[in-house]
Order: sequence, then C-alpha cells, then structure tokens
Amino acid sequence: MIHARRPLIELRNLHRYFGKTRAVQDISFEVYPGEVFGYIGPNGAGKTTSMRILATLDEPTYGDAFVDGFSVVDDPDRVRRRLGFMPDNFGTYENVSVIEYLDFFARAYGLIGKERRVAIDSVMEFTLLNTMAEKPINGLSKGMKQRLCLGRTLIHNPSVLILDEPAAGLDPRARIELRDMIEQLARMDKAVLISSHILTELAEICDKVAIIEQGQLLATGSVDEISARFEAASRVRMRVLGDQAPFLAWLNAHDDTSEVFVDGDVIVCTHGGGQDKQATLLREAIEAGFPLHEFSSKTRSLEDVFLHVTEGRVQ
Amino acid sequence: MSTAVVANEQSAAKSNWLSDLLVRLEKYADRLNPILVKETRQALKSRQFVVTFLVVLVACWTASFAVVAIVGPDVYYVASGPRMLYVYAIILAFPLILIIPFSAFRSLAAEQEENTYELLSITTLTAGQIITGKLGSAAVQMMVYLCAVTPCIAFTYLLRGVDLPTIFFMLLYFVFQSMGLSMLGLLAGTSAKVKHTQALISLLLVLCLALVLLGTISLIEDFVDRNFVDVMSPMFWLANLAALSFYVAIFALLHAAATAQVSFPSENRSTTLRIRMLLLQACFIGWMSAIPLSLTGPQDYMQTILFIAAGSMMFWFVMGWLLTSEWPHLSRRMLRTLPASTVGRISLTWLNPGPNTGFVFAIGSLTAVLGALLVLTFLLPPSSLLAWPGQQALAYFLVLSWCYAVFFLGLGKLLVAAVRTVTYVQLSAGFLLHLVLFLIACGIPQVIYLMTPSLRSSEQFSFLQITNPVWVLFSVIQSWPIEEANILLLIVGGAALLMLLLNLRTIALDVSYRPRMLPTRVLEDEAELHPAPQHQPTNPWETTASEPGERPV
Repeated sequence: MIHARRPLIELRNLHRYFGKTRAVQDISFEVYPGEVFGYIGPNGAGKTTSMRILATLDEPTYGDAFVDGFSVVDDPDRVRRRLGFMPDNFGTYENVSVIEYLDFFARAYGLIGKERRVAIDSVMEFTLLNTMAEKPINGLSKGMKQRLCLGRTLIHNPSVLILDEPAAGLDPRARIELRDMIEQLARMDKAVLISSHILTELAEICDKVAIIEQGQLLATGSVDEISARFEAASRVRMRVLGDQAPFLAWLNAHDDTSEVFVDGDVIVCTHGGGQDKQATLLREAIEAGFPLHEFSSKTRSLEDVFLHVTEGRVQ
Repeated sequence: MSTAVVANEQSAAKSNWLSDLLVRLEKYADRLNPILVKETRQALKSRQFVVTFLVVLVACWTASFAVVAIVGPDVYYVASGPRMLYVYAIILAFPLILIIPFSAFRSLAAEQEENTYELLSITTLTAGQIITGKLGSAAVQMMVYLCAVTPCIAFTYLLRGVDLPTIFFMLLYFVFQSMGLSMLGLLAGTSAKVKHTQALISLLLVLCLALVLLGTISLIEDFVDRNFVDVMSPMFWLANLAALSFYVAIFALLHAAATAQVSFPSENRSTTLRIRMLLLQACFIGWMSAIPLSLTGPQDYMQTILFIAAGSMMFWFVMGWLLTSEWPHLSRRMLRTLPASTVGRISLTWLNPGPNTGFVFAIGSLTAVLGALLVLTFLLPPSSLLAWPGQQALAYFLVLSWCYAVFFLGLGKLLVAAVRTVTYVQLSAGFLLHLVLFLIACGIPQVIYLMTPSLRSSEQFSFLQITNPVWVLFSVIQSWPIEEANILLLIVGGAALLMLLLNLRTIALDVSYRPRMLPTRVLEDEAELHPAPQHQPTNPWETTASEPGERPV
C-alpha cells in the first residue's frame, strides 16, 4: 500500500567505505510517489554504490536507506517486494528465450498462475517485446536487452524503480522510447530514481535531481532550484525602445549589475542575484520610466548546473 | 442413442479428464522452485548436456554390442551379468560423479561471473530456495542419465549372475553419491566469488571429483563380484542406516553452510548451522555408542570412548574455529529475534551468531560429550589389566582434551578480536588465524624436539611439547602411566581456566543483549499481510463483534 505522504525512497546519512576509500559520505534525500529523481555525478562519484545499497545488494557502513518505510538493512525481503532494480551492467542467461526469462523472474517474485501470465503479457506489451517472445536472449540487440531488463524490473509491479544508467549504449530512438516509458511509470505513481550521463535527457524527465561528487551530495532539488541556489551571477538581456544611453547609465549605477555592454540593439549585463532580484530590477527599470520591451535571463541547462556545482572537477 | 453421439461423449469425457489433469499439473508446476524450472530448462537445452547424454548413450550401446559379440554363444550358459553391470556402472559413474557435481558448481559460479546472481538475489527467493533449486536441477539431470542407462542395466539382469538387490543398491548409492557431491559442488560455488579463487576452486573440485570417480570405479568391481548386498543380514541394514543418518546430517550441514554463504549479511546465518552441527554430533555419538553392543569384551567400551572423544574433539575444534571467527556484531534484524526472558537468554543465546556465543556453544557441546564419556569411563565394568586404553589414562585424556580445546579456542578468539581492532577480518581469515596458531603451537616444539638428539632418543614425557596437544594426548594414551601427569593437568587446566576468565566479560555482554522492538512500518505490513481473523460465532446465541452495539458473548 502506498501512503501519499510517505517518501518511497529515503536515504538517511548514508555512508559506505571500502577500506580507506569513502565511496559514499553522508548522503540524504527523499523521493516521493510519482517523482522521477535524477541522480547525477561523474564516474566514481558513488551513484552506483548508493543505488546498490538501496537495491539490497550492499550494506551501508553507517546510516540507512528506506524503501516505502522499510530499512534496506533490516528488512531486505520486504524491500525487495516493493523494488525494481535495473543495474547498469546486467547479465543474461544462456539457452533462455525472452518469455522464459520473464517467466522465471515472475516465478521468482512469487507470481503464480493467471497472475503470472497477466504480468508477463502486460510487461511484454509495455516494453514492446511481444514479437520477440520466443527469441533467445543472446540474439537480442543491446536496446532490446535493455527493454527486457526493464521488463524484468517491472514484472512484480514494484512501487519503486531504481534505474542505473538505463540509456547507456542506446540509439536515439531507443532513448526516446525509454524516456516515454519512464514518464508513463511516473504517471503510475511509482517513485523512479534514475542515474544517467545523458544530462539533457534527465533534465526533460526529472522532477528533481541530486548531484553527487566524490561520494558527497552537493545539491538536491529541481534544476531551477539548484540553479538559483548556486547562481552567483547570471546574464540578463534587455531591449529598450529609443535611446539606450540613459538606460546604460542607469544600469551601470545599479548595485546588482555589472559588465554592462551593448550587443547590437540588445543590452547585456551580469546580474548578481537570483530570480527575485531580477524581478526587482525589472520593476525598478519600469518605475524609472524606461520603455523596456524585452527582459530575459539565460536559463541554465542541467549540464550548466552540473558543471557549475561540481566546479569543473569532473574526471 | 447413436454410435456417433456415444463416441463424442466419450471423447468429451476423455478431453475433460485430460484438461483437468493438465490444469492440475500446471497448478503443481506453479508451486515448483523457480530456480529448478529455469535451471532444468537451461540444462536440458545446453550443449554440454546434449553431448554428455549422447556420449553416455553411445557408450552404453557400444558396450552392449561389444560384450554380446565377445561373449557370443556362451551367453546361454555363462553368467555374464556382473561383467556387463561393471561396464555400465563405469559409464554411469562418469556423468553422475564428475559431470553433474561440476555442473552444479558451475551453475552457481557462472551466476557470479556473469552478473546474474545479483538479479537473482534481489528477488523474493530465499537463499535456501536458490541452493535447493540448483540441487533439484542436478537431481533432474541425474534422473535423465539414470533413465538412459536403466534399460542397459535391466539387460544385465537378464544375462544372469546379478541379483536385483545388487542392482538396486548400486543405483541407490550412485544417486546418494551424486547428490552429495553436487551439494559439495554448490558449496564450493558459493565460495567462488572472485575470478582467481573461482579458477583455483574449479581445479581443486575437478581433482577431488576425479579422485572420487577413480575410487568409485575401483570399488564397483568388488561391489558386484563379492556380493556385497546381503539383504538377509541385520548388519547390512544397520550399516546402511548408520551411513544414511550420517549422510543426511552432513548433507544438512553442507546445505546450511551453502545457504549461509549466499544469504544477505544482516540475516542470521549461524543458528541453523549450529543446530545442524548438534545433529551431526548426536548422530556420531549415537552410532559410536551402538558399536560396543555388537561387539564382545569390555575393553571395546574403552576404545569406543576414546574414538568418540577424539572424533568429537576434532569436530568441535574445527567448528569452534569457524564459530569464533564469526562477525562480532549482531544486526538490528537479528536483535529483533533475541529471546526476551532471562531463562531464554541464558539457554538460547548460544545459538545466536557471534564469536562469544560460538565459543560457549563449541565448548559447551564438547563439555557435554566429554563429561558424559568421563562418567561412562568410571561407570563401565573395569576391563582386564592388560586392556588398552586404561581407565585412568582415558580419564586424563578426556580432561586434557577439554582443557586444550578451551585454551586454543579462547586464545584464537582473543587473537581474532585483537586483529579486528586494526583491520577487517573475514570468517575465512579468522579460521586461518586459528589454524596458524594451532600449527605454531604444535610445530615449533616438534621441530625443537626432532632437532635435539637427546630428546629424540628419549622415550620419556617432555614438557617441551606441552603446547602440542596432538603429542601430549597421544603420549597420555600410549605411554601411561606418566609421572608428570598431575603437573601437566595443573598447567594445561590453569591455562584453560585463564582463557575462560579472559573471555568471560565479552560472553557476559552477549547474554545481556535485549531484543529490539519491531519497527511500526513492519508491524503495519504484517497486519496487512496477515490480517487478524474475524471473530466467528461458535454457538447460535453468540453474535459477531462487527454488529453495532453488540459484543461477542
């Protein structure tokens, strides 16, 4: 049963050390039903380690993680009933067809009789694998294998999905299809935690993101929130009707602006504040009587935010 | 009624019966272990199985034709059954002793190698189900091979010279041997988590299986020729019963060990193992105690006691090394299941995982066995003066054995705990530490002894060997009376007592653990999964509690 206000995924001060290597250090965040949560960071940042802990494949050194309120350390069996995990590097069985593979995992999750058949049919339909039911897994393309793995992840209808680099190695079409599937899953009120290197795609589907580097959580929230939080300065483009000189002088005299210059008929300045202060600047300019007919600030992409937050330390 | 209508009704009834059967079979198949279903599907489609099956089949046919051709017309008046059975048994031994156990090992090792084990371990299957499923698949393959060779074996009966009990028991022993070796293969598979250890374990397992195969082949001839199966003899049945009980106890222990190896770290992996250790110990003592009943002469009792004591000591030494190397911290999950009452804590704590409880469990079990044997040593009628071993020598042997066990397990446990303060020590590393400690204690005095000519040539007891339990205990039994026996007992007993005292504080801490409450979310889930049954009226005047304003009588 999913409780509306309870986070489906919760990491509480999670630490994981391998000898002297601190893979994960004090990570905490929550993911609620219907949310797609992006988990981004450079290679070796600790994404996979924390995802493996959530998937009950590893144990934290300190702290705990919860899935639907159950500790992954104390109640892994209850967690497994609610969780679907798609690892970045998964193996397949030899001499097994697509339908046999799904049938095995359906049985392994305790589905029997009609329930199992319905689950297999719906998963094959969802992942568009219907035409390949009898095909041996080893003969499938990378994209098809990814779909099959997603199908396996969904076979027991879990309320929580953990997808580690699900789009890696997929062609653009397969990526778009995968993105659509994830959006559909979120609409089904599932909590989705997804890691990917393809940040543009994550930005499109994620409600929230967490940025992790060297095992530490640097930021969490929506892309705009993080952008606003970390933005020390942003570029603002303005266009005024008539003479630009008085407006240029006004901007130069303003406390929050600097590096004012003219680019064609557009005035560009660096603004040292967030969205609130930009709104104040716009109000003050209008109140000062300048005929402004364009005012825009450049929105940072997830890539910009990531590079900014990780301070270019990406390996 | 026309003939066509009757035929239709008959075919409808037949199809109904068939569809009912199919539905029923499907229902049963749904309950089968998923691993068994998957592994069987995979195994029967694999190239290795097809090739081995064909080789076995072709070998059986070839052997049949060859033997019939060689025997020729003699077949009518010469009993050539034993010779044929021997050939078929060798052919059958190859897949059953070599191929199936190795396939069982590979099936688990390959899961680790190809990253499929992780996907398996996050399903709702338990570790026990995974091991049992793999074992079931080995059993299915074994049945297929047996079915292929059975017609040939039946043919040997027709050739005369072999009776049905011999054939039956030979096949039965093959089945048990194959299943036991498959269990061993699976246990080896659970240990092969890294590639280089996997290669080493594969090699060792193949060598071990090849040796067993050679041993079996050499025994088959005797088995067939010497008419080993004597169903009329009570001893035959008794020996088989004893072997079966040992087999079951060891098999259960290996199964628990393999399951523990693949269980989630926070799970209790020790209690089942401890219970099965006790089962094996009980089996050993039971059958050893039965031996004197079948023998004559009081001196046999003393030798049986010596044998049980030596066997138990070795068993609990090795088990104690493993138990005292367990991880010292109980997971929160395990803390939930601890006994709550004082009596429960005192009596059941020793089944919980951990080195302290393991130390007490091993020593406690050994104390029970050696104590009982000590009482028996004095209660049994005295043997003749020349009987070996003497009553007094045996009593010293039992007490010294106990002291050495306490000393070495206690010291090893402290050593492992000390190393754990510096670095992470796995169970296998802890076991090795114990082994190294024991080898040093035995080896150094032995080397000095052998390198000193005056000591080497002397037949007297030497205190130089006091740290070497093997030498001391052997001397006590062989060279009794020993003048220094009481001093020896005082020193070794004092050392054992010291070890007990040094370990006492941590042991007391383990008993003081209190059970943790179940988290609210778990209680909610339990209530959801297993709702309390609604109160049902038990007599006509009683009403249900659900009716407003009324209470059940």
